[in-house]
Amino acid sequence: MNLDLSEEQKLIQDTARDFARDRLEPVAAELDDGGDRSIMLDNLKLLAELGFMGLNVSHEYGGADAGAVAFSLAITELARACASTAVTVSVNNMVCEVIQSVGSNEQKTCYITKICSGEYAAGSFALTEPGAGSDPSSMVTRAEASGGGFVLNGSKIYITSAPYAGVFVVWAVTDPTAPKGKGISCFLIEAGTPGLIIGKEERKMGQHASATNEVIFQDCRIPESALMGKLNDGFRIAVVELAGGRIGIGSLGLGIGLAAIDRATAYAVERVQFGQKISSFQAIQWMIADANTRLEAARLLLMNAAFRKENGRSFAKEAAMAKMFATEAANDACYQALQMFGGYGYTKDFPIERYARDARITSIYEGTNEIQRLIISREILKNYSA
Amino acid sequence: MKILVCIKQVPDMESHFRPNGSATWFDESDLAFRMNEYDEYAVEEAVKLKEQLGGEPEITVLSIGPDRVIEAIKKALAIGCDRAVHINESAVASKEPWQIASIIAAYARSIQFDLVFTGMQSQDRGSAQVGVLVAELLGIPSTTTLVGFAYADGVVTATRELEGGVKGKVRLKTPALVTCQLGLNSPRYPTLPNIMKARKKEITTFQAGDLSSEPPLTGSSSFRHPEKKGSGVVLEGSVDELVEKVIVILKDKTAVLR
Repeated sequence: MNLDLSEEQKLIQDTARDFARDRLEPVAAELDDGGDRSIMLDNLKLLAELGFMGLNVSHEYGGADAGAVAFSLAITELARACASTAVTVSVNNMVCEVIQSVGSNEQKTCYITKICSGEYAAGSFALTEPGAGSDPSSMVTRAEASGGGFVLNGSKIYITSAPYAGVFVVWAVTDPTAPKGKGISCFLIEAGTPGLIIGKEERKMGQHASATNEVIFQDCRIPESALMGKLNDGFRIAVVELAGGRIGIGSLGLGIGLAAIDRATAYAVERVQFGQKISSFQAIQWMIADANTRLEAARLLLMNAAFRKENGRSFAKEAAMAKMFATEAANDACYQALQMFGGYGYTKDFPIERYARDARITSIYEGTNEIQRLIISREILKNYSA
Repeated sequence: MKILVCIKQVPDMESHFRPNGSATWFDESDLAFRMNEYDEYAVEEAVKLKEQLGGEPEITVLSIGPDRVIEAIKKALAIGCDRAVHINESAVASKEPWQIASIIAAYARSIQFDLVFTGMQSQDRGSAQVGVLVAELLGIPSTTTLVGFAYADGVVTATRELEGGVKGKVRLKTPALVTCQLGLNSPRYPTLPNIMKARKKEITTFQAGDLSSEPPLTGSSSFRHPEKKGSGVVLEGSVDELVEKVIVILKDKTAVLR
């Protein structure tokens, strides 16, 4: 057994950490506070040029071909500095991966390369609908066959990066008479396609620099070649690809949690009350011990899930466990970190409140942690069914 | 053109350092290691020169140390060095600058490099001797503390950082050696595809003992944290009074004011 990272993985981790320290950390608070989003877009371009948009994507399409473990490490390091940038990078990677996994040769050559090179600032996943969140197979956005292609009507919500995405992975119902989940197809649609309308941007609690928008389809006509994978096989694709995304979001949560507890620990060894550093109080020591232990456990779960993915083994259960545990450890670490900082932590003079707001969504998006538990238990229980 | 870049792997300087068992160096267990910052300037300058010359020069990166230094070597390869030499020496920390320089010179002598880039010093030992000793052993000219570098037709024009913000200009004919200082350039990040592709580049391994067995000329007698001094002085009073008190202290206890 060997838990050491390879030299390449360490170098990728170091590069992500250096970039995050040099470019993301200095602007993260400003971006959170409504700063100019073009700053983040500039950083995304640089990250693309360094190869961060296709970590687990073949060289052939401009990817780094570095694997799922390196992807996890990179997202954690970016999230330590700026969760908004990290989530954009994570989603971009997942868009590339789904295209690589089920796209046609034309789709791969055209779109993966544009995301990897930074020509497109982002790619988006358009799955969730107002009435279809945890239950995506209840979606109603319709793709009707028409004139050799499809016409889409419906609306999606909570679409990360929509205003600056170059391409959208869109799920829509192609056979409304099929059993639930059996009549959904997956499409790849370019931004700017007539009838694809970017709706209002959500005003969120955190991850402010990352845009989250409504996306509306109004008689959006697309060619047959926009179909990804097989007709009516879209829901299966979503289920499989979301598992990889969970490694990304778990890794992102880990990064935020580590940032919070690192800052709070550094504060605890400086802050004096009752004539001594607060780190000398057992109450604070336990917070440090508990938060770090949970984050370390989260890291190992993430590494295990990523390792399994990288080696072609099943990883849905492990990814769900890692996502659920890491994002809860992150929220917990932010809570403890804010508690250690006291009133200062509640102010915008310190980043702890930002970490706490940014971490909160991680137990919700990419599948709520309740859905993760459902996936985990289903994977376990299937071995017990008579 | 053949270029050699000598790099060292050093601990992350934000580490918490503890003396080792024999109290002659720091305890290396549990430390994260990185490429010496000054050597990053050396690698960057070499790669820039290669780009300037249309990719013609072949850059060899060299590092002495245990297997862990291969990570630093691979970073240099990812940034643009062509091939690498790893000189295996598990007890690299116990080797002093003369021994390190002798090992490097023993390797480099047979190749006849046109240009050698090194860092100005290492971040951990900070002797700033290895570069100039290598040049001396190879019998080639050298100049140190570069903040500017230009090359044309076999001549290096180096801008050196001197004390007090003064700059010096030095011209050297190749073969030559230069040592690189902060401010020479902004090292690029290695791209991820290049990190992965660098796995295919050649790394040749030598045993340090096979290259040189020079005895040490100096030795470390002890390594310890400075003794804790008493707590600082807190001055109180109006601004005018504070200024008076500070001037008195500066006059009495320092050479700043006389």
